[in-house]
Amino acid sequence: MSGATGGTAPRTTPRHRVVITGLGVVTSIGTGVDAFADGLRAGRSGAKPIGAFDTTGFAYSNACEITDFDPGAWLRDMAAEELGRAAQFAVAGSRMAVADAGLTEDDVRARRTLVSVGTTDGESRDLDHLIGLQVAEGEDRLDATVARRVWPGRLSAGIVRELGLEDVETVTVPTACAAGNYAVGSGYDAISSGDVEMALCGGADALCRKTFTGFYRLGTIAPDVCRPFDADRQGILTGEGAGILLMESLESALDRGARIYAEVLGYGLSCDASHPVAPDRDSIARCITAAHRNAGIEARDVDFISAHGTGTKANDVTEVGAIRQVFGDELPRTVSIKSMIGHTMGAASALAAAACSLALREGFIPPTINHRTTDPECAVDCVPNKAVEARLRVVQNNGLAFGGNNAVLMLGHWDANTADNLPADAAAAA
Amino acid sequence: MSADAVTTAQDLVVSGWAVSSPYGLGRDGFTTGLREGRRAVATLDSEQWPVPYDEAGLIPGFDIKAVLGRKGTRSMDRVTAIAATTVGMLLEEYGTGLAADPESTGLVLGTSGSVQSIMDFTRDALTGKAPYLVDPARFPNTVMNCPTGQSAIRHTLKGPNVTVSGGAATGLLALNYASRLLRGGHATTLLAGAAEEFSVQRARLEQVADHGGSAAEPLGEGAALFLLESGAAARDSGRTVLATVLGCRFRAFRSTGRASAVLKSCIDDVLAAAGRGPDDIALIAPGTPPGVFGKEEKVALDGFAAPRLAVRPLIGDTTAAGAAFQLAAVLAESAARPELADRLALVTAVDRDGTVGAALIRLG
Repeated sequence: MSGATGGTAPRTTPRHRVVITGLGVVTSIGTGVDAFADGLRAGRSGAKPIGAFDTTGFAYSNACEITDFDPGAWLRDMAAEELGRAAQFAVAGSRMAVADAGLTEDDVRARRTLVSVGTTDGESRDLDHLIGLQVAEGEDRLDATVARRVWPGRLSAGIVRELGLEDVETVTVPTACAAGNYAVGSGYDAISSGDVEMALCGGADALCRKTFTGFYRLGTIAPDVCRPFDADRQGILTGEGAGILLMESLESALDRGARIYAEVLGYGLSCDASHPVAPDRDSIARCITAAHRNAGIEARDVDFISAHGTGTKANDVTEVGAIRQVFGDELPRTVSIKSMIGHTMGAASALAAAACSLALREGFIPPTINHRTTDPECAVDCVPNKAVEARLRVVQNNGLAFGGNNAVLMLGHWDANTADNLPADAAAAA
Repeated sequence: MSADAVTTAQDLVVSGWAVSSPYGLGRDGFTTGLREGRRAVATLDSEQWPVPYDEAGLIPGFDIKAVLGRKGTRSMDRVTAIAATTVGMLLEEYGTGLAADPESTGLVLGTSGSVQSIMDFTRDALTGKAPYLVDPARFPNTVMNCPTGQSAIRHTLKGPNVTVSGGAATGLLALNYASRLLRGGHATTLLAGAAEEFSVQRARLEQVADHGGSAAEPLGEGAALFLLESGAAARDSGRTVLATVLGCRFRAFRSTGRASAVLKSCIDDVLAAAGRGPDDIALIAPGTPPGVFGKEEKVALDGFAAPRLAVRPLIGDTTAAGAAFQLAAVLAESAARPELADRLALVTAVDRDGTVGAALIRLG
């Protein structure tokens, strides 16, 4: 074991290598891994006028909404009305991830599992509905069916109930817009330490008036589309969906001959502890460095960065500044899939992790669409508008959130036919 | 069964704790109140709190500006203030030296944020002159990690800052999440625990929730936080080891009738992993949820002779903070009874959404 142990405390127990073998995605550019992969390669846009709530009075109101989701297709044990839209997305993503991993739900039931789902808003869409009733019909008006499903624990508990899992740790991680990376990171630690054999981790969120209104009021909603890193970028489009990753130990995946999308090399966390909404360059750089150290890699190993890349003035300049602080002048290509699927909040970094996994497996970099002129203040090769083919070994996935909550995930290529899979060193270090 | 009472460097230990509870701010009132068995649930002022409850366990006289000052509190909501206050008390009493290394010190907080803040924000959107005329300073309150992030800002905690949620098991899930972060090398010291607020909207929602076939019980509020670090880090910092975390285990039940069996399995597992048996347990702090959930928990604990510390009947249903208060009660009892040193304590939770959990700790 080499000295690079990552973080501030020595690890004390042998670690398992952790791989991603199943992906479940619900997005505005496609549901299911094949449709999502096609959408990423084609640079599809999920932007459209909002139908989720009445937008009268707003000067503009596009979002990346999912218009073809049928909860009944994914729920077996529970009635659709027992789960809010975010939890429904999470259940659908989990069922897809299990099937995509070539597993049956009985296989998952037979293993000790972690289910960890990140979210920003939980079922705030339902809370919007409940307060709407109070406003319209009186303070005492309550829709009890909806009231029972609003608590964020349901996002993970719904998956567990639907899959009939029993030997499982069930946790929701409401760490805002980086929550997906937090959930995947906790899954990595749980598997690598041997606490669990398998993990279903990711994030889910549903469009809601509350969050659209908040971002609109802050002046950070784009009038038309999201253009990360563009000189004329005007902000985010809110989005929705779920990304769930099925993770297991490398031994487990090899034993059952599973297809491996990617290896989870490690992750880093940091907190700005300075401002509730404005990102902090030094803190983000510290998070990136922590992730590299935890993964046992160097900045020069990174082949592309999936940026948080919201397309706001502040985020893109600060984030690229932080990347530059770590990487110097030789920046890897830095893309934002939010240009395609919008800002899916707690699902964002989980869906980006799914996109990175596909990119590593299939050898391409997803584009940043809607791009015209790169802003010199955040000058990166954002792979404008068209995906590129690329042989990739290490990919970095950034997630930044309100509360100054940063999480950076490192994924590596896995190829059963070559002996030089990159994290050999990282694994030894761990 | 070994009785290895020596704390090794790798052990995760609790080296400090703080509470804001219906007994008031701080550990003394909490400890005295619990040990006297004094009920801290009181009649509600129905003018101030138009809720479908007559009683609640409120932090007495909790006033955000009085406790935290005017700076940075103009738009602060109640759960954030409760969390930030409790973090402050924990650091003040036990945090010597932590300020020198803020990047290695983090916070794992169990909370589901404030439904009141979320609903108030949308109410403003629906009732204002235009649908976007909301107070932007209150937007961060509508995101569930607000108490965690704001506590970090007020107390300069730059390490991992994580928010977790899982109903009645939240406190144990936060403890386990923090343990993994420490073992994974992501921080040296973590503040871990949970916070809950009382609010009109929470009360309305909770009143119609699933209480296992029983009527809704009075709600409570507050926060309990613990300083978690390796035994070596505690020793290096000169902090006394108050307890050692031997393990947490979780399972799930689909039908309520399975809850006792899966909880019993969790208890057996944490005992087996620690190389201990039922007779080593000297103290149990159960969640005592209402209705069938409570009956199931009781059945799972039937074979254990240790005395029970029931917190919820005294301070109310503190939901997200419930299991953290149970752990705090164990530490309070342990502090008052030195003869419990080296004995084990068990904390259990049964959540209505199907999670059960057990945490085993060694006292002293």
